[in-house]
Amino acid sequence: MSPKSPNPKSPPAPKQAIFIKAFHSINLIALILMTASGLQIYNANPVFGGRAGWRFPKEILLGGWLGGGRNWHFASMWVFSMSLLIYGIYIFLTRRWKHRFASEKDIQALQAKNPKRKNYAWHRIAYTAIIPILLLAILSGLCMYKPVQFAWISGLFGSWQNLRIAHFLTVPIVLIFAIAHIFLSFKVGGFKMIRSMFV
Amino acid sequence: MKFDPYPHHRFSRRQLIKYASLSGMGLFLGSCANEASRVSPIFKPLNQQSGNVRALFEPLNQSIEELIFQAKNPAPEYPLSAIEPNALLINSYDITPLIDPNSFKLVIDGAVNNPMQLSMRDIQTLPLTSMVIRHVCVEGWAAIVQWGGIRLYDLAKLVQPKAGARYVYFESADNYYESWDIASALHPQTLLAYQKNGQDLPVENGAPLRLASPIKLGYKQSKWITRVTFTNELFQQRRGYWVEEGYEWFAGL
Repeated sequence: MSPKSPNPKSPPAPKQAIFIKAFHSINLIALILMTASGLQIYNANPVFGGRAGWRFPKEILLGGWLGGGRNWHFASMWVFSMSLLIYGIYIFLTRRWKHRFASEKDIQALQAKNPKRKNYAWHRIAYTAIIPILLLAILSGLCMYKPVQFAWISGLFGSWQNLRIAHFLTVPIVLIFAIAHIFLSFKVGGFKMIRSMFV
Repeated sequence: MKFDPYPHHRFSRRQLIKYASLSGMGLFLGSCANEASRVSPIFKPLNQQSGNVRALFEPLNQSIEELIFQAKNPAPEYPLSAIEPNALLINSYDITPLIDPNSFKLVIDGAVNNPMQLSMRDIQTLPLTSMVIRHVCVEGWAAIVQWGGIRLYDLAKLVQPKAGARYVYFESADNYYESWDIASALHPQTLLAYQKNGQDLPVENGAPLRLASPIKLGYKQSKWITRVTFTNELFQQRRGYWVEEGYEWFAGL
């Protein structure tokens, strides 16, 4: 590329590490598989209302029946949790967690008047907040998958129903996050930014 | 998936699956496009891969389940006040067999030194173990239940399994069958129960004798058990009724 850009006003497209792009895509696919198969399992006995409860439409379910849903759920959980673990190790080793995630500065930016800084801050807060939700999904799932072997953590949720509700609630929370995440990243960096996270 | 409360008026699950796959072929041939359009176009090809996904990941999951399973470590027990009498739902794959407890005999055989046949009276003279545990169903619900009965471990002491015995088969009066790894079968909280919530076991819960355990999912806990067979090998085509349909074999909690 020549040093002089043909249009000096357009900022260069943001660049992401190949590792981050890969993680982002794998995580997105794993979340879709986990959710679709999880809702299939939900339908066998709805968390709200039991056998008489409302069920999710077939169109968004993965597995075809309870057994198929479980097969997919307990396969995708490996992709989901292992990619998250490797990502965690990566951001720790590269110290990315120190400068790419929300910090006190972002809280301060929210109180400031600069709207651009506010957008950046909200965006960082949104994608930082989702990390503990993803970890809660894994933890509450593990507590239901092996409630005897992990009795010491299963007990923290109080009752079985609390455990089911906690695990299920990660679905609407992640969904709301995803919508906010897309909206905020568009506000911050436009299509270029979104594109840069995938290709 | 819904279980049928009046199964003898309808098809068994196995028949249902057979007919469903036939009607599935009908869809393939385009005979009823309305139904076909209700299936998600994204997930339909993936649904067909469920068996492959299971074949790929189930050995890994099972080896980890066996690794974390602690044969001596009991599951949490609860006070009697924690019992949820209405939470335990009734599931059965086919009929509810009626067994006369006076003529009933439990057969224990296979890789054992002392094969036995025990009447209910024999079983009730053996030490009674009572536990209040959480019963967890594959469907996602759970119930705190009191079960009373004889430990399979205590029965094993009587029949003396041979050194090579690694699995235990359970046959039921309704033709249901299950197989367990011996470590789970001999866990101190694995019972052949004849009491539920302080009363005689009701017939819909498996009277006169059923498996009860906090360490396996509900479908492993056969009702109306007539025969317990210790074996060295697992018969691959007969590991368990629901296992053949696609649920996990180990199903440990």
